[in-house]
Amino acid sequence: MLTVENLSLDPFYNQAFEEFVYQTFTEDDVFLLWRNRPAVVVGRYQNICREVHAADLLRRGIPVVRRMTGGGTVYHDPGNLNYTCITQTGGQLDYDAVLAPVITALQALGVPARKDRVCDIAIGDRKISGSAQRLVKGRLLHHGTLLFSSDLAMLDKITTHRKNDGFQSKGTPSAICAVTNIRDHLAGPMTLEQFQAGLLEQMVPAGGRRLTLTMEQEAQVRRLRDEKYRTWEWTWGKTPPFTYEKTGVFAGEPIRIAYGAKGGLVSGAAVDCPALDGALAAELLNGARLEPEGFAAICRRLAGDRAEELLDLLM
Amino acid sequence: MEKNIHMPKLRPEMKSGVLCAWLKEEGETVSAGEPLFEIETDKVVNQIEATQSGVLKKQLVEEGDTVAVDEAVAVLEAE
Repeated sequence: MLTVENLSLDPFYNQAFEEFVYQTFTEDDVFLLWRNRPAVVVGRYQNICREVHAADLLRRGIPVVRRMTGGGTVYHDPGNLNYTCITQTGGQLDYDAVLAPVITALQALGVPARKDRVCDIAIGDRKISGSAQRLVKGRLLHHGTLLFSSDLAMLDKITTHRKNDGFQSKGTPSAICAVTNIRDHLAGPMTLEQFQAGLLEQMVPAGGRRLTLTMEQEAQVRRLRDEKYRTWEWTWGKTPPFTYEKTGVFAGEPIRIAYGAKGGLVSGAAVDCPALDGALAAELLNGARLEPEGFAAICRRLAGDRAEELLDLLM
Repeated sequence: MEKNIHMPKLRPEMKSGVLCAWLKEEGETVSAGEPLFEIETDKVVNQIEATQSGVLKKQLVEEGDTVAVDEAVAVLEAE
């Protein structure tokens, strides 16, 4: 078992770091611990707009990152510790084989953790960890969250209260679960740094290899970050095909918005509202890239200082 | 010779998977071991590789389709 230190809090860099390690250290079992600054992390095949309010995240300055594993949407902040296990498998999928050592390690640190559902870890009936996997040629990457001292009010606001019901979409929906922070269930005080050090000690005991990337390897991670995880093509272009329809009120008038998108490119757009130029709206939207910044610019052209009100209806 | 490629069974309990991405287009040449498509089941994304070389003749399902285990997803014109 080896571990590679990653002190970055950049959510795009950290996805690239994990993928780089997955592709580079192919001979060993690997265990990683890492944290992100506030970010929404979505599954490989999810419709971001259905899971979270993309315009709201843009206003809050919270980025959306698409990962290479399956599953649902999670909110990360520095109070959440992520772990990654990379190992060889016989081809059959088995969550328990990966989860059992993690749960044992948590229990050794005084966390009354137990397995829940397919691949969650819970304290009582409240989730502290969700996980997802990727399997390529028998090499398994399993990663999960560990809520230690996260802002659960923000997590709840972002991942459960802003689902958008206007989307008819393929893709993986997220599960909504009651959650809790590990810190609130410990017998004595513990900092996140102590928890992280303790978990690493349990998973990669003395004698295991502890590496850091070379400067050249770090440059390769940054390249992967910039050429994949930060691109529109990966984050928005991988959105499953969908159609969207929303009715409501804009500037005191009834409004109906409809469009579809495939490969993240908008088509079939129609905006019916007495307060707006429908022909211009269709012209600007059709062929546009699905993304909050671009949609915000279109709304500014259509609605001037009421742009934000329109953006909230558009995605 | 034409050969069907099927949805694999990756867990004993697996009934179906979602074909979430085609990694080869129709008409493209495929070598044995090269990635063909990705499927998602139970929060796992699995990359499925070709077991034989040939030409991907037909994609039988679209990205996003749920496919039962052992159902055909593609036709490969094997070398």
